[in-house]
Parts: sequence; structure tokens; C-alpha cells
Amino acid sequence: MTELLVIGAGLTGLMAAIAAARQGARTRIIATGMGSLLWTPGTIGVLGYLPGEDEPVQSPFDALDALRQRRPRHPFALLDAQTLRQSLDAFRELVQSLGLPYRGAEDGRNLLLPSPVGAPRPVFLAPAGQVDGHMGRPEPYLIVGFQALRDFYPTLIAENLTKLGLKARAEFLPIDLITRRRDFSPIDLARELDAADLSRLTNALKRVAKPGERIGLPAILGLKRHAAILATLREALDAPIFEIPTLPPSAPGMRLAEALRAHFELDLRGRMDLGLRAIDFRAENGKVAWVSTRASARPVRHWAQRFLLATGGILGGGIVGDPTGQVEEVIFHLPLNDAPQDRKQWFHRDFMGPTGHRIFLGGVRVNEAFQPVDAEGGVAYENLWAAGGLLADSDPIAERSLEGVAIATAFRAVQRMSEVTP
Amino acid sequence: MNLDAWLSPEVSLDQCIKCNICVSYCPVAEVTDLFPGPKYAGPQAQRFRMAEQPTPDLSVDYCSGCRVCNEVCPNDVSIMEMNAKARAALVAEKGIPLRNRLLGRNELLGKVGSYAPHLANFALHNPISRIAADALFGIAKEAPLPRWSTTGTFVDWWEKHYPHRRISDKKVVYFHGCATMYYEPFIGVAAVLVLEHMGYELIVPPQNCCGLPLLSNGEFKAAGKLYDNNLRKLGPLATEGYDIVGTSTSCTLTLKEEAPHLLGRHDETAEALTHAVWDIFEWIREHEDELPRDFVSIEMVIPYHPPCQYRAHRVGRPAMDVLELIPGVEVHESRARCCGIAGTYGYKKEKYDIAMKVGEELFSFILAEEEHHHTEYNACDSETCRWQIEHGAGQDSRHPIEILAAAYGLYDLETRTAKTA
Repeated sequence: MTELLVIGAGLTGLMAAIAAARQGARTRIIATGMGSLLWTPGTIGVLGYLPGEDEPVQSPFDALDALRQRRPRHPFALLDAQTLRQSLDAFRELVQSLGLPYRGAEDGRNLLLPSPVGAPRPVFLAPAGQVDGHMGRPEPYLIVGFQALRDFYPTLIAENLTKLGLKARAEFLPIDLITRRRDFSPIDLARELDAADLSRLTNALKRVAKPGERIGLPAILGLKRHAAILATLREALDAPIFEIPTLPPSAPGMRLAEALRAHFELDLRGRMDLGLRAIDFRAENGKVAWVSTRASARPVRHWAQRFLLATGGILGGGIVGDPTGQVEEVIFHLPLNDAPQDRKQWFHRDFMGPTGHRIFLGGVRVNEAFQPVDAEGGVAYENLWAAGGLLADSDPIAERSLEGVAIATAFRAVQRMSEVTP
Repeated sequence: MNLDAWLSPEVSLDQCIKCNICVSYCPVAEVTDLFPGPKYAGPQAQRFRMAEQPTPDLSVDYCSGCRVCNEVCPNDVSIMEMNAKARAALVAEKGIPLRNRLLGRNELLGKVGSYAPHLANFALHNPISRIAADALFGIAKEAPLPRWSTTGTFVDWWEKHYPHRRISDKKVVYFHGCATMYYEPFIGVAAVLVLEHMGYELIVPPQNCCGLPLLSNGEFKAAGKLYDNNLRKLGPLATEGYDIVGTSTSCTLTLKEEAPHLLGRHDETAEALTHAVWDIFEWIREHEDELPRDFVSIEMVIPYHPPCQYRAHRVGRPAMDVLELIPGVEVHESRARCCGIAGTYGYKKEKYDIAMKVGEELFSFILAEEEHHHTEYNACDSETCRWQIEHGAGQDSRHPIEILAAAYGLYDLETRTAKTA
């Protein structure tokens, strides 16, 4: 029998499943689809903004106390700084071993990386291919785009970087350096580069780059051969090369998702089944017995000793709203804390204001063992844990804490569940 | 709140947030410019498809129907179903080429050929016929068409077996489908051996083609006739409460869901049939406690490819779950998206190359397994996929039920015959 059933295949679900499988638990992941990692830039934010503040956080660990003061039930308030650090170290070790190294600033401060429009993004850890975009570095930027590549405008990025007081300029290269296809996404380009001889691209870059510049490219530098492509370009141009994430689909997000999935399925012999939307469950004697998923003729029941809910918030699909504005947690119908409960509460005068939106702040409340609690504060089900984006009292988008919350809470939930015998 | 009401293909397009995850994983769009990808052909084009108006975009014909899009979509959009309906509308507008009419009539072809299988095999498989079929009908000359069984049909075997069949209070109905009937009767033999070994008495009722080849070529009316015939033949058994198991993942899917959904058959008997039908491994997994553990010693690595139809069954990968129970059997999953053939897609001249490119990741997996583990066979539940794998990778492919029957010592994997006790 499955010892741990993880519901959700985003960063939370994958990290939790990997941690459990590494401890020897027979672990299975079920999910509606590929997780939301493919929507993300593949970077790891821990804390980029404190609630209500416009200025980015310099150093997440120094700002934890302030965060806990403002949000006493924030997921980071349910674990100590050492656990947070441990979980991030574990993540770094893991991705390093998978050939997808991540780095942060030496002094524990956030990196400030350019977004797809050239705005600063506070990030704690970034794929090695993105770190050289850090705004704290001295080299002037050369942002290189490709004609006909949608949603990546080097001129706009360079203009916005210049407005921030940084030195930046833009160049366009012809797309046929990479592909002759009629239509393509960043993922297609990455696949083409996986198979390509890079000399045409490096020669073209040499022609436009000036000595001393660092070169920012859209995040298309390969999927399977990313590290080799990056090394080849860096060597050929003798300059820092970095990727700027694109709008979805995101190659850095896909690299991370696929690396974690392959590790789970191949190295740890775990099972991950997609296309299975959880719709119902059965509880007996205060324990979850099974979760069922929608299927062709009859729902499939997934029995397990333990269950970990990692379905995400409103974006991941763990929380849904109906046309009347009511929201609910989709599987166990757990009480949602602070989420809007009718249509009126969805609106706010201050569009994109620093207080964020209630739908992101609301979520499932858990105790310090990361077990969902009911309205009275008691453990909802003895063998149910929850982690990641669906947790209450954190606004992971506004705080830029989405991935940090995913990694730390997945780590902690698995740690706590292994302290009790099933 | 009732989410299912929102999730009919037409309505589910509003769930699409255009995130492009489907496009990123679509194996067809990856290898050809002729298909722009599931998002464009599906939810995006769907907004411009109005009843009584011409179809705006013909590229939907290049969707192979593998359903990778449905599987990876984080928002549960029924992308492939949208495409299937759009293709049917296209067929209604443009008419059906003779080739597609032929490919849709798998059962008729099977029946005709089975009267003189040697002759039929020669007539179909000699190089001149293949060139002619390619030029005249657009059936790719290299495509892996099946061979008729030269040792009789499945029902011929069943009639011989009938007097010796296991009699039991536990009964289960077997749906063999056309491929087992006319081309691969041994798949049915293996299924009967395993189900009888589990203590069941088999019922093999009269039945006909499930209708899938017609559905996937957009011939809904002709497919409806076949479905209704099956409903008459199998419906009463379903209503009486018998489980109906099938060894063809596509037939079971069609009877369960595709046909009633696409054809709009939702009466009580159709409902009963939907709930009675199981893919054989889905059923065995459900009856795991009845599965005897008297396996003979068998040491093998089996490279296994879950066929695309499981994405629509949405039952996970039951054959893997069951095969992993056999001591000594190590199942290695292909992790490949699709073999490329997608029913009759890869038979079509204009799509053959696309199908072969799509299958490349699977073929190279099979070859790598052969090199590293000296495997003799790979396994896949779906017949056309097996033929495509054999064609693309040059290694014999087996149905997992054959592996299971062999693991009980009841079946010879090489000769594909029952072992006599």
C-alpha cells in the first residue's frame, strides 16, 4: 500500500515526495496536471517584500522577525529560521546533484534579477544560468532578443534597467540563428538549441557584444543540455551570460520540474500520475482512508496511510472560487481562513496595491506539525498534512515567498510526519 | 459546487488560462509546423467555431488525439475532446476521403481478410499493393499494418476451448475487439488463461467493433450504429451486473466513455454499460486480492509503454501496478509521450513521418533498454502501439496480459500460444 500519497505536482508536491521517498516511504504523486512550476521563472524566492511595504527586503533571514510580527500565523512563523535554512540547503544540494545548480548571494542577501520587462525581482536562490543578471554586479547589460520571438522585448528591458540607474543597451538578432520554424515558443527554441551547433549563435553574439558587457538572453538556453550550452557560450564570449525568464511556458521552470520528476521516478522509483483530478475522499475514525480522482467510468480510489495536500492556492487549483465569489478547498473542504466569502470581497480600490489580494492571503490553516486544523483549532484528520501555496496567512506572490514557502513547508511537513508512526 | 457542469468540452475552454503547458508537451507540435499546438487548435480556435459556420482552422486535423495536453493541463481543460468534435465538424463539411472510410472500417477489413488470411496478407503486404495503396488511397507504404491471423480467429479458438472452459460462480464478460478477433487471437487466449486462473468463468457474448476508428475519423453516424449494436448485445449483461473486461485499451475506452460522450448516448443502458466496462488491468488491479501468487520463476526486465488511451481512462497505470507484483519482473516505464501511431493517424501518408518522429523518444528508449538489459520484449497494452513499436524499434512487443499469463507458466511468450499443462 502507498505509504504517502502526495496530491499536487508543483514544487511543494515534488519536494515533499522526494523527501519522503528518500526516507524509504512508498510514495505516490497524483495531480490534475503538470504543476505550476512551468509558470514560474524557476527561481527561489524566500522573502522579497514585507507585507505593506514597497521596498524590497535586503536579506530574508533578517526580515523573518518583522514578517512574524505582521503575520503571526505565516507558514514561516510555524517553523524556525534553522529549519528554513536547512530546507533551502537541502534543495540546493539536491538540484546540484541533479546537474541543475542554484546559487544565491554570498552574504545571504537577495539577488535582484531583471524580470521579463526589466523590473527588479528579489530572489534568494537562482539557477546558475540566471545569477549573473544580479543588479548588484558592476558590468553593463547587453540584452539580446530575437526577431519574431514574442513576449521578449530587449529594448523595453534595457530601457527599464536604465531607469533604475543601470547601464544597459539592447540588440536584436535574427531568429534563424536558432530556428527556421514558422511558429515557436521559448520551449521550442530551447529544444532546438539542445540539438544545435552553437557556433552561429556565438559568432553573432560576438559581433554585437562589447568588451566588459554581460549578456542577457531570453531563457531559451536548452532543456537537457542547458549546463553545457551555458558553458559553451560563456567560454566562447568570455563574458558573463545570463538568462532572463520569459512569459510562460518557462524553460527554467520546466528544467526544474523535469529534473525533480525524473529524480523521483527514476532514482527513487516513485510514481507520479498526472491527469487525475481529486474530487472526493473518505474519512474513517478521524483518518483519511482514500482520495478519489475523476476517471472515465468510475472514480479511482487512492488508498494510503498518509496524505499530503499540496494542491496550491487559487492559482495552483487547490482553492477554487465559484461564480458567486465563494471559495473552497477542493478536496477535503477544509475551512479557509481569511479568504473572500462573497463577490464584494473580491474587489479593492487599490489595484495591485502593496496589501495584496485577500484571495492570495487566505488559505488552509495548519498547526505547527503542518496538519490542517478545523474551525475549532483541532487536527482535521490524523493522517493529513498540508504544505505550500494553499496555506493561510501568507501572500506568496506579493511576498515573493512562493518557492521558499513550498520548499520549507514541504520539508517540515515530511519531517513532522515521520516523527509519528502511522 | 458542481465543477463537472463547468467541465464539458465547450465550457471547459473558459478554464484555459493560455499558460501553454499543453503546447510545451505536445509531441506533434514539437515535430511539425502543420499542427500549431493544442492551445491554438483547441481552446483558442474553439472561440471561433460556431454552429452553422465554416470551420476556421483546418490544422486541427493534425491533432493525433494522444491527449498529452489533457494530461498536463493544470486546469483540467478537455482540449482533445474539443479537437475531436472540431474534426467531426470538419468531416461533415468536407466529406470523408475513401482512405479514412477504409481505415474506419477495421472490423469489415478484419472479417473479409479472415476468410482467406494467407491470401489477404499477401494481397495487403506485398510491396506492389503497398505502393498502390500509398498512391491511390494515401495509406503510407511503410506504415505497420497488421497481419491477419492464419491460425483462425479468436472465436474459433474460444469455440474449441469452450467445452474445457472453467465453470465458476464468479463470472466475467470478455470484450475481445476486432484486433484480437482477426489479427491477434493470442491476446484473447492470454486473457482467458489469466482470468480463468483467477477463478472466473468467462462469457464471450456476440459483439462488434466498438466504433472508435470511425469516431476518430469523424464518422459519427456510422460509429453510432456500431455503438447501438453493442449496446443491444452487451447492455443486458451490464444491466444484470456483470463486469465486462477488454484487452484493447481503446475499445474499452470507447465503450466506457468516448462513444456515449461524443455520440450523446446517456440513457440507462448506456450508463450501465459505461459502468460495467473495465480495461483488463484496471479490473485485475481492483481484484488484486483474487490474483493468485503462484508465479513461476521468471527473471526479466520489461520496458513498458503505457498507451495514450490510459490518459483518457484516467486510471493511472494499472498494468504497471499489477506487473510489479510479479517477483523477478522489473518494469521500466518508457516515460515517452506517445508511440506516434495514435490509432490510424500514423497510417496516413501525410502523417506517417510525423508519427515516426513523435515515436522517436519511445523507440530510442526501447533500443537503450535492449542494449543495457538485453531485453527480448517490450510491453504495451494497445495493439496499434505495439505494431508501431515493433516497426520503429525493431523489437517484439507484447501485451502485459501475455507477460502475466507467462508469469503463471500458462503461456509461451515466444510462440504466443497457451502452454499445455
